[in-house]
Amino acid sequence: MSFFKDRNYYLKDYNLSFSEKVERFNYIYLFFIFLIVCIGFLALYSVGGGNFVPWTQKQFFRFVVGLIACLVIASVNLRFWMRYAYVIYGVSLIGLVAVSLFGHVGMGAQRWLNFGFIQVQPSEMMKVALVLALARYFHGRSVEEIRSVKFLMTPLLLMAVPVALILEQPDLGTALMLVFVTAALLFAVGVQLWKFAVLIGGGLVALPVLWSFLHDYQRKRILTFLNPENDPLGAGYHIMQSKITLGSGGAFGKGFLQGTQSRLNFIPEKQTDFIFTVLSEEFGFMGSFALLLLYCIVIGYGFYIADRCQSFFGKLLVLGLTINFALYVFMNMAMVMGLMPVVGIPLPLVSYGGTAMLTLMIGVGLIECADINHDMVIGRRGSIDDE
Amino acid sequence: MSVWKQEKNKTISGRMTLLAGAFVVIFIVLLTRAFYLQIIQGERYFLLAERNRISTRLTMPARGYIYDRNSVVLAQNNKTFQAVLIKEQSPDFKKTLENFMRLISVTDEEHQRILDDLSRKRAFMPVRLKDNLSFREIALIQLNMPDLLGVEIEEGLMRSYRHELSASHVVGYVSLLNERDIKDGADTSLLDLPGYRIGRFGIESALEGDLKGVPGRRKVEINALGRSVRVLEETPPAAGKDIRLTIDIRLQSFITRLLEKFVGSAAVVNVHTGEVLAMVSMPSFDPNLLTMPISVADWNKIAQNPDRPLQNKAISGTYSPGSTFKIVVGLAGLESGAINPSDRVYCDGKIKLGNQIFHCWHDGHGSMNLQSALMHSCDVYFYEMSRRVGPEKIVEIADRLGFGKKVGIELEGEKTGLLPSPGWKKQRYNDGWRTGDTLNFGIGQGFLNATPLQILNAMAQVANGGKPVSLHFLMRPEEPAASETRLFNPDHLKIIQAGLSDVVNKEGGTAYWSRMVYKSKRMAGKTATTQVRRITLKEREEGLKPQEELPREMRDHAIFAAYAPVDAPKYAVIVFLEHAGSGSRYAGPAAAQIVKEVLRLDDMDAQAQEAGEGGR
Repeated sequence: MSFFKDRNYYLKDYNLSFSEKVERFNYIYLFFIFLIVCIGFLALYSVGGGNFVPWTQKQFFRFVVGLIACLVIASVNLRFWMRYAYVIYGVSLIGLVAVSLFGHVGMGAQRWLNFGFIQVQPSEMMKVALVLALARYFHGRSVEEIRSVKFLMTPLLLMAVPVALILEQPDLGTALMLVFVTAALLFAVGVQLWKFAVLIGGGLVALPVLWSFLHDYQRKRILTFLNPENDPLGAGYHIMQSKITLGSGGAFGKGFLQGTQSRLNFIPEKQTDFIFTVLSEEFGFMGSFALLLLYCIVIGYGFYIADRCQSFFGKLLVLGLTINFALYVFMNMAMVMGLMPVVGIPLPLVSYGGTAMLTLMIGVGLIECADINHDMVIGRRGSIDDE
Repeated sequence: MSVWKQEKNKTISGRMTLLAGAFVVIFIVLLTRAFYLQIIQGERYFLLAERNRISTRLTMPARGYIYDRNSVVLAQNNKTFQAVLIKEQSPDFKKTLENFMRLISVTDEEHQRILDDLSRKRAFMPVRLKDNLSFREIALIQLNMPDLLGVEIEEGLMRSYRHELSASHVVGYVSLLNERDIKDGADTSLLDLPGYRIGRFGIESALEGDLKGVPGRRKVEINALGRSVRVLEETPPAAGKDIRLTIDIRLQSFITRLLEKFVGSAAVVNVHTGEVLAMVSMPSFDPNLLTMPISVADWNKIAQNPDRPLQNKAISGTYSPGSTFKIVVGLAGLESGAINPSDRVYCDGKIKLGNQIFHCWHDGHGSMNLQSALMHSCDVYFYEMSRRVGPEKIVEIADRLGFGKKVGIELEGEKTGLLPSPGWKKQRYNDGWRTGDTLNFGIGQGFLNATPLQILNAMAQVANGGKPVSLHFLMRPEEPAASETRLFNPDHLKIIQAGLSDVVNKEGGTAYWSRMVYKSKRMAGKTATTQVRRITLKEREEGLKPQEELPREMRDHAIFAAYAPVDAPKYAVIVFLEHAGSGSRYAGPAAAQIVKEVLRLDDMDAQAQEAGEGGR
């Protein structure tokens, strides 16, 4: 008990009242998030053939759960999240290990933990947990430490362990996102560029080795991405149909609920990874542009919040989560537009999927939390004093 | 604020700007890509999406009917019922198939085909279980529906031939398209019509274009699995044209029965109009059997039958015309002036040419003129006369009568035969035309080859007084006015006709056996018996064996070409029997029967018409 008391002492110094939190809450940011979610409902309604069931209704309840999680998280003191960053990371890692030991197999991969009443995807939680852990780690490092190779090992290890576990599931998309978000955070905190050059060079050398670790279906996907016309009825079918769906929307689209490609099931997994094609078929380039713009506003707002955070932890947390969000958007869109192999990444807040929605709303909650506490000063180890 | 913190914040601000810049670049790339796909390539992808979505399916047109001259149906479409299995509508299609086979017998070959189709076709596509269900089978299926979930009975049209054996060579048959048709460039749009049957033979094949009709088009929206979701547009099929033939099925059936035991052909034409009233080739085949899928073994049984049931021997068989050609030689002699009707030749059974002896079929006919030589079919007379007329003149007249070229009937597979000439022999064998060739030519042997229809065509023109006539099968709405052109001098034809009449109607004529009692029914004609082998000197000395004692394929062909009534010719008939023996003994009587029947039918129809007109 004394342990908690001890920590609470430090937190007391910066304790906003609930009404203050409500006052400081960033409603504009949440509004844009809500707009995107609504577009998602619209798309799922269309995918369901003009029905709320089965997709929209379920997605709505997930959003409500996510929103509650978001608000609860936002109302907690930012120091709390810093203090428990490693714990959350640890729990997620245990979850990943558990998945690889006795996880639920679905769609050719082992990604879920089944708790009976709920299925959890620890790899999704890891996207948030890794950002938390890295933010906490770099919060306490000095510029000199950041620039030394020695202190680079810990964050790389923080990333590498879950990446290895996730690759084993296999889930190339999530693993790539973890790598990219770590790289972006390392870049942001000021790791010298030559180290990136070395890492990328090493990565290129390791590419053949990595190739040998890839599953057959992953290799096939990469090969068909490089030349989709090779196999128009096989694996290249997804990419071809995805491009046809997108392109056939033209400037103004075929009209809401009028998308022939989606209605007649020419798009695979249209309610999840390929949902962007449904929207762009029915609303055309205008629709694609509008959604892309909304994402940009959210991402840009994220950068703005990161910039105004006083604490390094808050900055890194918001930046990491924003980068995470941007990676979701960019990788999914590049994938459906045929600029990247199909790796299985949902369109954030729009694609149907419970864990992704929850993870994203947790992320939004953390960003809101950091914004509410943007002027909070956090000491090197989470205390108020600057040491 | 400490120094380390300030420095860190400065770094992160700079780096964040760079990251934001990178994201802006990515954003622009994605936007450009969307612009490229949706605006620049939009139209192309729109068309691709439409092609995904819309499928045009053909619907079967009803094939035109084929009628005989009296509008009796020869080929029609019967409503048939077939059982199909739709996999997705059956909880356990293997069990359903098992139940089905317990009720209705299916051959092993078909069972295998059904299993293949079931595994190959998409779940919503019907797989044919059994064609042509009988009413008993339909009842059985319907009674047992609870055990046959997924089985449906579909209606279809099946070509069916009445009078199956009688008119098969004329009418032909239809059958499913095969790979050869596709290679031969058959109308590929028909490939999308499962179960489409193409005309294979006879009129079905020759008039395929008229009979087949135009398939209907149904534009349907399909989903990614190919299942049609809704019909967008539909054009109904246009049925094929009905065809009325000049043949009389009554006569056709009569001849078929008459020649049941023979191999060969027979045909009847109207000598004035050129209408073909009957054309029979024996043995015949049942077109209904060939319309259904047939096993290789069964097909080979038909295709490799030495009696060639699939050949229309009247137009595709080529033979020496034998003594029927004597008509041509006689006519050539008269037309060229080389023969005077009163010129006489003495026949002592043979004629010598150098050291070669040419035999007559008879020991010696004595003194012969043209009329009696035709009556007795005296070879020696025609040896002598062909020498006098010369091959060129004979070729000219034979050509005018239609030898050596197609008669031009609407059926496929007609042969040209061969009309030899000195020029032809030079070119073909690089050898001179000898007098011996002329003598053989003079009695219709040697290189000369003709189809029975060509002989009949010649006979028709001799009978009608030299009018050009074109033989045909298609009923013309109105017969064109009789041609005033005469290919030959009518007086000359009269002399020939007198000889041909004597063949039948004068005692001693080669077909005197086949004469008719009533004068108005009398016919004229010419027998021919053509050897299929060379008779050796030894055989001649020992005395010729009766034909009946020879193995069948060594026996002579028996031919009789006739026209009737003798005084006012209306119909010409040919009977050509392979290896039957003597023309006068076998072909003549058959021809007489046919003439009797055709005249009887003629009378009957005339009376019926009169009665009909009187009643009106």
